Amino acid sequence: MQTCLLCHRENLYQPTLWQLLNFQTVSQSPVCTGCWQTFEPIPADQACQGCGRRSAEKKCPDCQKWQADSSFSNRALYTYNAPLKRYMSQYKFNGDYRLRRVFQGQFQQAVKTLQADLIVPIPINQSTRKQRGFNQVLGFLEGVETLAGLATVQSDKSVPQSAKTRQQRLLTAQPFKLNVDEEVFRKKRVLLVDDIYTTGRTIRHAAELLIGAGAREVIGLTLAHG
Amino acid sequence: MIDAEQLYGRQILADEVHLNNAQGVQLIRRPALAIQDRWVLCQRCGQRTLKKEVRLPGNKFYCPHCFQLGRVTSDQWLWSLAEPNLFMPIASSPLSWRGKLTPAQASCSQQVRQYFAAGRTHLLWAVTGAGKTEMLFPGIQWALSHGLRVGIASPRVDVCLELAPRFEAAFKSIPQIVLYGDMSGTYEYRQLTICTTHQLLRFYHAFDVLVIDEVDAFPFAADPGLSFAAEQAKKESGALLYLTATPSRELQRQEKQNRLTVSYLPARYHGHALPEIKVKTTGNWRKRLNQNHLPGKVNRTLSQLIMKQRRFLIFVPHVNDLPRVETALKKQFPPLKLATVHATDPQRHEKVQWMRDQQIDCLITTTILERGVTFSDIDVIVIGADDQVFSTAALVQIAGRVGRKADFPSGLVQFFADSQTKVIREARRQIRFVNRKARQEKLIGDV
Repeated sequence: MQTCLLCHRENLYQPTLWQLLNFQTVSQSPVCTGCWQTFEPIPADQACQGCGRRSAEKKCPDCQKWQADSSFSNRALYTYNAPLKRYMSQYKFNGDYRLRRVFQGQFQQAVKTLQADLIVPIPINQSTRKQRGFNQVLGFLEGVETLAGLATVQSDKSVPQSAKTRQQRLLTAQPFKLNVDEEVFRKKRVLLVDDIYTTGRTIRHAAELLIGAGAREVIGLTLAHG
Repeated sequence: MIDAEQLYGRQILADEVHLNNAQGVQLIRRPALAIQDRWVLCQRCGQRTLKKEVRLPGNKFYCPHCFQLGRVTSDQWLWSLAEPNLFMPIASSPLSWRGKLTPAQASCSQQVRQYFAAGRTHLLWAVTGAGKTEMLFPGIQWALSHGLRVGIASPRVDVCLELAPRFEAAFKSIPQIVLYGDMSGTYEYRQLTICTTHQLLRFYHAFDVLVIDEVDAFPFAADPGLSFAAEQAKKESGALLYLTATPSRELQRQEKQNRLTVSYLPARYHGHALPEIKVKTTGNWRKRLNQNHLPGKVNRTLSQLIMKQRRFLIFVPHVNDLPRVETALKKQFPPLKLATVHATDPQRHEKVQWMRDQQIDCLITTTILERGVTFSDIDVIVIGADDQVFSTAALVQIAGRVGRKADFPSGLVQFFADSQTKVIREARRQIRFVNRKARQEKLIGDV
């Protein structure tokens, strides 16, 4: 019996008639329909073009206020609601690496539509990497060609980003450095990928570095906004 | 740095361990995850997983079964020190309990003590309210006075918290520690440990005598990792005693195949029969409940109980049903003092205490109060007993809340269901069966 990785109840796979008649290879989702429906996707045409949150207007009030760099735009796939928070805590903090598969399909599709020259995942620092055993963003991007274009700066990261207040987050210093030659980014459209967009500080730091290295355009893709 | 004492009979998951006082002790180090051809085998919970499912980057693996106590990965070790039984010598009779066992209890108790001494696995199958805890006392007294380490574990934290004061009162001179998930204190090395079955995952060959109370309760019954933990928490020569009123099919099968010995006590300590289950059929209780109404038959029964000034528990299938029943009761019987309680209720323990202290007359609850709690002189109502959340064991346990005190040995057990399901019939049959058996053995006198 297959069980849902999130609620641990039975996960029945119900292929559609079309899939059966078509002899397609079908792959079963690791989570059940019930859990899947608790996630709230943000359709691309109902999202703020700055930060990616669900918004009726093209730019949400926050982004209108924060006009500083309008060159960066982020696409978030889901709203960071309670079920998604639970998911992230099981994936990242329990370290259940199987859960990377839940959103891989969504990432593959988004990467395809966003059409970038280079795909750069946000790195995590050494000690977290060692403790967790994986980079959660790379887990989402399994099977997608990525470039380890960024590295973390050795800083006294005693406080993780997720434990800070909004003010503290916004004041965070540049946590990244280039991991490859500047030349690689010149005139390229680069897609930065991260798990959660909260204040945007992390991913915008990364974007500034890449723009500085001569990238033509930098866009962001995150699993969630919130 | 860690004190050697902290590691006696324990296993902790780490890359490295340094001891403060390392003279004369030998650290044992086992790989946390055994790697086989296609599988990995967790050395803490004993569960195996396909390698390809749980491969981490860098060809490492982890166990997806026992996350609650920290993830086990293939590059970690489980560290422990052999249990040295370094306890203060104690008086030969540490038992300060002065109660008296009935002859039937005493005979079971004698058997239990013999199995403790023999280091065997044994099942004590005694009906709800038989006085299981008291039956343990002589055996545990024997073990403690011989300097043995004793563990009492239960799947339910409520049961642990109810047992602890009883053991404390019965063995006043013995230091004990209670361990559970969100406890406030830290672990200490004690001769008597009372803990949830999850905490057993942290022990390695520690206990000479290990008792698992309510062995058929969730999550122990559903989690093979916890059975493994129990086996591994006791010494290889240690004794393991299962306690229950409602053994699972699996345990009954083991008994039939002579793989497990059983002591059997079909009567309550006060010598009165178990209250039998009465069932009334309702039209469609689900529909009525969803409209915040109670079925007519339920209303009639309740008004009779209230007229007789009885106090009662109402069991409902789901958390969502609690406010519905509450609303209906408040409308129908405004003066009734009532409360609702469920698993994640922050006031859970207070509300149970209100019911004990007779501050309220009615407690509406989910299955969390099915076992391990004793209220004096109450009746029990189950609305929707045909719902699939109620297993036979759960229904027998619920019925077993009634008539537990010698002063009030009887009461009403009334189920309401749309139809008599197999589960309900089986529960009624079990209770009638033990009553018949108790009469045959002349353990109960009344009719």
